[in-house]
Amino acid sequence: MELDLGPEIAEFRAQLRDWIAAQAPPELAGLFDWNMVMTAGGRRGGQLARAMAHPAYAQWSDRLREERLICPQWPEEFGGQGMDAVRLAVLNEEFHRAGVPRVNRGMGESLVGPSIIVHATPEQRAHFLPRIISGEDVYCQGFSEPNHGSDLAAVETRGVISGDEIVITGQKVWTSGAARANRMFLLCRTDVRAEKHAGLSYVLIDFTAPGVTYRPIRQMSGATEFCEDFLDEVRAPLFNVIGGVNNGWRVAMTTLGHERGGRASVAHLGYQREFWELVETAREHGKTSDPLIRQRLAWAYTQVELMRYSGLRTLAQVAAGRPPGPEASVAKLFWSEYHKKLGEIAMAIEGADGLLRPDGDGYPVTSWQGVFLSSRAGTIYSGTSEIQRNIIGERALGLPKDRRIVG
Amino acid sequence: MKLGVSAEQAELRDSVRRFLAERAPLSRARQLMEAGDGLDGAVWEQAGSQLGLLGLAIPEQYGGAGFTFAEQVIVLEELGAALYGGPYLASAVLAATALLASSDEGCRRDLLPAIASGQTIATLAFTEDDGSWDPAAIRLSATRAGDGWRLDGHKSFVLDGGSAGLVLVLALADGALSLFAVEAGAPGLSTTVLPTLDQTRQLARLELQAVPGRLIGSPGEAAAVMDRVLDVAAIALAAEQLGGAQRALDMAVEYAKVRHQFGRPIGSFQALKHRMADLLLEVESLRAAVSYAAEAVAEGSQEVPVVAALLKAYASDTYFHVAAENIQIHGGIGFTWEHDAHLYFKRATSSGLLLGDASYHRERLATRISL
Repeated sequence: MELDLGPEIAEFRAQLRDWIAAQAPPELAGLFDWNMVMTAGGRRGGQLARAMAHPAYAQWSDRLREERLICPQWPEEFGGQGMDAVRLAVLNEEFHRAGVPRVNRGMGESLVGPSIIVHATPEQRAHFLPRIISGEDVYCQGFSEPNHGSDLAAVETRGVISGDEIVITGQKVWTSGAARANRMFLLCRTDVRAEKHAGLSYVLIDFTAPGVTYRPIRQMSGATEFCEDFLDEVRAPLFNVIGGVNNGWRVAMTTLGHERGGRASVAHLGYQREFWELVETAREHGKTSDPLIRQRLAWAYTQVELMRYSGLRTLAQVAAGRPPGPEASVAKLFWSEYHKKLGEIAMAIEGADGLLRPDGDGYPVTSWQGVFLSSRAGTIYSGTSEIQRNIIGERALGLPKDRRIVG
Repeated sequence: MKLGVSAEQAELRDSVRRFLAERAPLSRARQLMEAGDGLDGAVWEQAGSQLGLLGLAIPEQYGGAGFTFAEQVIVLEELGAALYGGPYLASAVLAATALLASSDEGCRRDLLPAIASGQTIATLAFTEDDGSWDPAAIRLSATRAGDGWRLDGHKSFVLDGGSAGLVLVLALADGALSLFAVEAGAPGLSTTVLPTLDQTRQLARLELQAVPGRLIGSPGEAAAVMDRVLDVAAIALAAEQLGGAQRALDMAVEYAKVRHQFGRPIGSFQALKHRMADLLLEVESLRAAVSYAAEAVAEGSQEVPVVAALLKAYASDTYFHVAAENIQIHGGIGFTWEHDAHLYFKRATSSGLLLGDASYHRERLATRISL
């Protein structure tokens, strides 16, 4: 069943579908399963990189850019088309339907862009936003530190104002995509005397500048997706401080209202495809007649359908103009906890086969072992499950905050 | 499909909520539990003839209001939240759906109007002593007797069987599953109201000895009718379970905000806060699923059989989880007879068992998605 979003949206959808059919290079859909679940720290990164290096992908990116379908939700003056959340959702649905990639600009699009759009000066917006859309600036995130993960506001990386520059020294960790990035957005402490949230600045630095070094950290899955980074007196112009010195916390916490709901109705699709792949594996192992496996697979099917229903409900609420609630935290808690259990079911289905992995250097694992191992991180990154539960308990249920020890 | 609650639907919800708060509060439910008959006739009459709740989803040509299942789900959620003990599920959902799904226009015209007004309380009797919710387990038989039929055997776990004036009975006629209308006072029919764990839900056992029954539709068509009835009933029950789960969650959260121990509200402790966050996630997911399922039934979607099985399992697990945690969060008083927490816990338990438990429905789901 499809959500009725009205005749205007139906027309938008039909036009978009025609455009995709006419403009998408024919080999594109077959290059990679663009809809599949990509777990951070997982093993499909290499395949994805190869697919993105294909000329059809570049061709497609160019066409999308001309049509302002890269970062379409951004204002027109910066290269987007001011697309609203409902149309963005339809866009996502149609791209999925056609099996073609969205060509999103990673954290530049999802995190840096909104912060800049809301907090930057007109000159900063005009400078930084087009470079994100063009792809020339690729961002990685400099937030977590070895001593400050969940308690992000306590970061210690120092930013010292020196003339018309800011000089940054410190250490960051869990940076994904560092090897592909030429820019970093980071939080540093520019006022050590202020209350912890009030002394932070949000800075965009050149990740290739002198003073920046990074080392990959090996994850238990064998992948090296995350890095630790060392910033040794890295210089950036004051122009690169967004939202003003000591206003960094507010800038970092920005999410644009219309970011919510854009992916709500498609977020489940990757998990749906993954579920049916697991069913295929179960059939190959003769496990679909095992009543316990049937129960667990029925449970997994249920969870993915619940994601679908919740996504539709969120989209309907966005379309009705209702203010967002805790859906983002609920959704993140839901999929990440689900995915760990899905990995466990996969291992139960593999049985003794799960004891062994493919031969070769670098700890190659089977695809289900890869899901099983990398899913353990899902409840940790992007806000741990414990943090999400705090947010849900306090903001959605109005439960009182925990006692804070100020030291 | 449209999701979300329209202004009209919000009004319906609010008026049902007010009505139940005034006329069927939990204190009244407790009185009815002690008295043992479980039916407040005056409230039932008002619900039927004045508020039109019983005939809400029955088409107008049969005396109903002609709304859709989406509206009925709103009523069911409120009834579940209030732990309403009257025969709504039995009469307005099970029996009405069976008649609407049958091929018998004559029976519909004869029987539905009184069900819609509440004048007749109807129910569906299909399960037998073995407690199977699968119509394939039915053994009660019907044999021809002149122009009509005689039914022999028994039925158990009949919802509101003691209050019903009309019992729709599933029986094997010439070995084929068929549906019969039986009057409560019929000769050879003896009804026993059973003592139940959940005293807000009446169950009865029927003994039938050559009881006259009127065949509804043709012999053998009831298998398809039951497929339909059981799917709609599962979704209807899930809507009740959602209402109860939401109410139990609200109760737990409210208590956690006001109960102080160790110098602060107990809801500030992460151990409780986190568990309540998990309960909210489940209740919100259930809400999205009930909403989708209601639309699926209203639109006659092909997805109904899969959604019904999925939903019944999920609703049962969720309601039980919330009701159980609600007791735990209340500490000692949560375990007392006087506190309302056990009423929700027992209703969650009975609803979880009625029509088949979560594992039963997950297995049905597995079959329906061709695992």
